[in-house]
Amino acid sequence: MMPAAGRVEAWRDDWWRRRRTRELALIACFLLPSATVFFLYRVLPLGWNVLLSLQYWSPLKPARWAGLDHYEEMLLHDDVFWQALQNTLIFIGVSPLAILLALGIALLVNSDLKGAAIYRSIIFLSYPLMTVAVGIIWRWMYDERGGIINFLLRESGVATKPIPFLQSFEWALPSVIVAEIWQVLGFYMIIILTGLQSIPPHLYEAAAIDGAPRWARFWRITLPMLKPSLFLCAVVGILNSLTSFDLVYIMTNGGPGHATELLITLIYKSGFGQTKFDYAAALTVVQFSLLLALTYLANRAFGGNAGALQR
Amino acid sequence: MPAHCSGSGMRSRSTYLRHAALTLISGVMLVPFYWVIKTAVTDENIYAYPPRLLPENPHLFNFVDVWYLIPFPRYLLNSLIVSALVVACNVVFNAMAGYALTKRFPGRQAILLVFLSCMLIPFQATIIPAYLITAKLGLLNSYLGLALPLLSTIVSIFVFKAAFEAIPPSLVDAARIDGLSEGRIIFRVLMPLSRAALATNVVLSFIWSWNAFLWPLIITREPSMQTLPLGLARFLSYLEDTTGALYAFAVMVLAPSIFVFLMAQKEFIRGLTSGATKG
Repeated sequence: MMPAAGRVEAWRDDWWRRRRTRELALIACFLLPSATVFFLYRVLPLGWNVLLSLQYWSPLKPARWAGLDHYEEMLLHDDVFWQALQNTLIFIGVSPLAILLALGIALLVNSDLKGAAIYRSIIFLSYPLMTVAVGIIWRWMYDERGGIINFLLRESGVATKPIPFLQSFEWALPSVIVAEIWQVLGFYMIIILTGLQSIPPHLYEAAAIDGAPRWARFWRITLPMLKPSLFLCAVVGILNSLTSFDLVYIMTNGGPGHATELLITLIYKSGFGQTKFDYAAALTVVQFSLLLALTYLANRAFGGNAGALQR
Repeated sequence: MPAHCSGSGMRSRSTYLRHAALTLISGVMLVPFYWVIKTAVTDENIYAYPPRLLPENPHLFNFVDVWYLIPFPRYLLNSLIVSALVVACNVVFNAMAGYALTKRFPGRQAILLVFLSCMLIPFQATIIPAYLITAKLGLLNSYLGLALPLLSTIVSIFVFKAAFEAIPPSLVDAARIDGLSEGRIIFRVLMPLSRAALATNVVLSFIWSWNAFLWPLIITREPSMQTLPLGLARFLSYLEDTTGALYAFAVMVLAPSIFVFLMAQKEFIRGLTSGATKG
């Protein structure tokens, strides 16, 4: 009796082990394609980038150790870098205004208003568009003679002379930023709307019974409950300084001078325009650290619940 | 304004104001759409002042011109091939990875952590080494090279994972007892029950690959491999002031994204936000 049972048990254990091994192999196979893509285009580049930024290297030449030379050049001798850094920070710094605007719109749309869905669709419609085409449209709207913006400004008497928006040092950056906000505003609105709809209605009911005035309900219920959504908007705002490459490239290509140069366009130009891959890698490291630091700060500012967002 | 005095007169006035504000905002948001369409269907000298607000003698010849002035069919074909590759691979790879992550196995936490941290590395932040890697793989100037970085998306993996977890496990067990392989379980049992997740995957990956500009700009050197956004940028640089065809071109590349968005609005929005808020 005993040996037989033992044999059955051993056989069963073996069967389970083999089944488990097969399952694990299958899981590995299922994860492999995605993991390969992420390894090749996220993890590996990040490490390589840091290495590259510490070397003298250009295509067809052996690498030499450079230490922090590139960083020294960038921080001490490269005025364009500082200009690009400043512009990138302005780009990011304006996003709270856009988020505030989106919050206002979301509060207007989030009600039993008839046709709210239509307004929502119209306001969101610009987000999925090809940014290159968006850049071309706005370039044309800003045009000195044929552009609708100058036409409206002149007809309404705000401006007496046409303003060369994208060709002037003081107007170029704000003009690009307006186009960027136009494209991303709907996305902020949708994020905030999703947040608004996840606030349990009984909180408002309780506050209404207690006789809390409308502004108190907004400050004490709506705003705190929206923190995760606002944090997400802030992160999107930070990342937009990267994804706006398309817009800047088409509208001004960083000009006039370097008035609209962002770090990402500068990286592109030094890497692929001047084939200074090593220097571009150093710029990338600075840019990436900046974005991480800003994301961390935004996380702190919104109560440190970014983890809750991503789970 | 105190909240409790919401008499019917008050309410209707507030509703009226809301409509007015939203109509105004929507109108402003729509101006660029109107302006590009107006320019695309007219023949006027686009640099004359004052510009006409309404299209005069609207016609569609500019849309025809696009096909002859530039290798539009070639750009379109390239864009379609890359987008099709990206969409197909996203659906298959993300579903497989999402399914694997619903299971318990050693190292699962570590893999989840790695995937989530990869989300913090924007692709644009690594273009220099990404270019060098693609060059080493010998994929510059190829469809696969154009598509490769986009072939799987972390957000979409988590969308599939969440959808699969919502399906009762007994269903999967029943399928397994019936002798279905794991691959078939994903694509025959789970996928048909996760329509919304599937739509999210298709829509997001289509929009991202269709609109991609920086990556194709870097890795395609030959005009014959360029996609629509590159064609548009090139067109801009040498035909700018001669024709409304540029704007007809812009309208034509925007149309598919708008169409896809309007078709799958709900899934699109849910995907964008759930990827970020729920994971």
